[in-house]
Amino acid sequence: MQSAMIFQQVINGLSLGAVYALIAVGFAMIFNVLKFSNFAHGGVLGISAYAGFIAATTFKLPLVGVILVGILAGAITAVIVEFVAFRWIRLQKGQLIYFFVTSVTMLMLLEQILIISFGASFESFPYTLLKVKAIKLSNLTISVTSLLTLVVTIIAFGILIYVLKKTKVGIAIRAASNDLVATSLMGINVDFVVISAFVISGMLGGLSGVLYGISASLSPQIGEIVVKGFIASVLGGLGSLTGVAIAAVALGLVEVFLISTIGSGLSPVVIFVIMIVFLLVRPQGFAGVSFADKA
Amino acid sequence: MTFYLTVSLAIAVSSIAVLGTFMLTGMNGLFSLGQAAFMGLGAYVSAICVVNYGLPLPVAILISIGITIVLAAFVGLATLKIRQDFFALVTFGFGQAVIGLLTQMVNVTGGAMGFSNIPEYTTPALAFISLAVAIVFVWGLRKSHFGRDSLAIRSNELAAKVAGINVFKHKMIIFIISAVFAAYAGALMAFHTQYVEPAMYGWITSVTWIIIVFFGGRDSLTGTVIGALVLLAMPEVLRFTAAWSTLIYCVIILLIINLRPRGLFGTWELTLRSLTRLFKPKKAVEEVK
Repeated sequence: MQSAMIFQQVINGLSLGAVYALIAVGFAMIFNVLKFSNFAHGGVLGISAYAGFIAATTFKLPLVGVILVGILAGAITAVIVEFVAFRWIRLQKGQLIYFFVTSVTMLMLLEQILIISFGASFESFPYTLLKVKAIKLSNLTISVTSLLTLVVTIIAFGILIYVLKKTKVGIAIRAASNDLVATSLMGINVDFVVISAFVISGMLGGLSGVLYGISASLSPQIGEIVVKGFIASVLGGLGSLTGVAIAAVALGLVEVFLISTIGSGLSPVVIFVIMIVFLLVRPQGFAGVSFADKA
Repeated sequence: MTFYLTVSLAIAVSSIAVLGTFMLTGMNGLFSLGQAAFMGLGAYVSAICVVNYGLPLPVAILISIGITIVLAAFVGLATLKIRQDFFALVTFGFGQAVIGLLTQMVNVTGGAMGFSNIPEYTTPALAFISLAVAIVFVWGLRKSHFGRDSLAIRSNELAAKVAGINVFKHKMIIFIISAVFAAYAGALMAFHTQYVEPAMYGWITSVTWIIIVFFGGRDSLTGTVIGALVLLAMPEVLRFTAAWSTLIYCVIILLIINLRPRGLFGTWELTLRSLTRLFKPKKAVEEVK
């Protein structure tokens, strides 16, 4: 029985970690190209979670439709955010901190839009979305939302790897991650690369928003979960998407484990200690792709 | 106390914390997402000292500042030598840890329900004098050798290091001072609102202070002070609903950062000289140039 419990917790941790990984990779993608922490990603995530919610309640779409609506909404919102908050600063060659300030402002702005349109209360996706709630295997009970999250995340990362490694756009994004100026000198349209990075990151954000909304609950503050992406991408060693994804899964597992053992109050304290110890031992992050600030 | 006095007192106290962020982010270029947690520490520690142990106010504030210094030094030691993202991350983690602890220690802090029955010790005079002293302190710091070194670090850390500035020591001192500012503001705030709860001190509050500094202009102390007064007063003035006022607040900040990236005031400072220059006939100004 005990091992069944542990197995269940591991599944829960993995599925939470999968959502964190989606958030973190979308977050890290913008960091790689433009080199700033894009907290507006949380706002994108929140808007698309609510778009999926509307699709599920008002239009009664099936699960696949809800997920697709979320992804589409994420992409559109991310592009709008890029136009409103970042484009002007980028064209003026403003310093990186301005991006940071506008991105946090965008997060707050999108959150307020959600509060104004939906009220500050908690919502949840309709139960009809999933036909079966849990699968029983002898003495194991696995919730379908966890499995769904895991499967969808794996598919999404598969597609992402294909896009980044094989397609022209993906290669351009990876080149821009290396050096934006050199990329533009090679005759690549940087504006297009930036927009496509925002589209891909927005799609990941939309997906993670819908998945998180289905597995947990929905509130206008849902966007603040972007900090998990922030933690994972710094610990993973900004610059390496694989490292970021691994760090996110580890974060999900650790969180589920801590909450089930010492409760949700003390777990941030333990996570803080782990963070400090980790940074002292391995300041270059999980993957070890480190780059200097200057020089 | 009248409504306006109560509101302006709260604004004055919060401005002290914003000045802390001004030193840290504006002068040294460090982003702390845990400044509000230091404010929470100051509020809780001093309130608990007074209510549960019957200590006088100054002693309670000194104890809370002492604890703040120790914790800030601990966080700084772990992070200030490595990349700046880590500083933002660890201060964030620190803030979450503080809130988690405050929520968890129900017997001492009252948990998520908050800690109430705090006596009202903060008088308007105390708040406004504290703000004035804080402004003078930051102004002096910026003029001092130490402040110049900080600006050099912000502009180019490597060059500052080569020029012989002890970057780590500088960042550490500034970080501790800014944390003390936040803690002191927290203590004053607790004895003003008479009630504190952990949710007041989340990372969004820290971010709001950073936004205020950039709104006024991180190169201008005048801009930061005026920006703090304006932006902290705005939710009180635009009272229709909290959500709409934050929305307007965000739009204004987006406009300012996009159109005037150096902030509303740029590098302009309110001094006797800049004032007389402002009101001189046009020809005279050209001659000065």
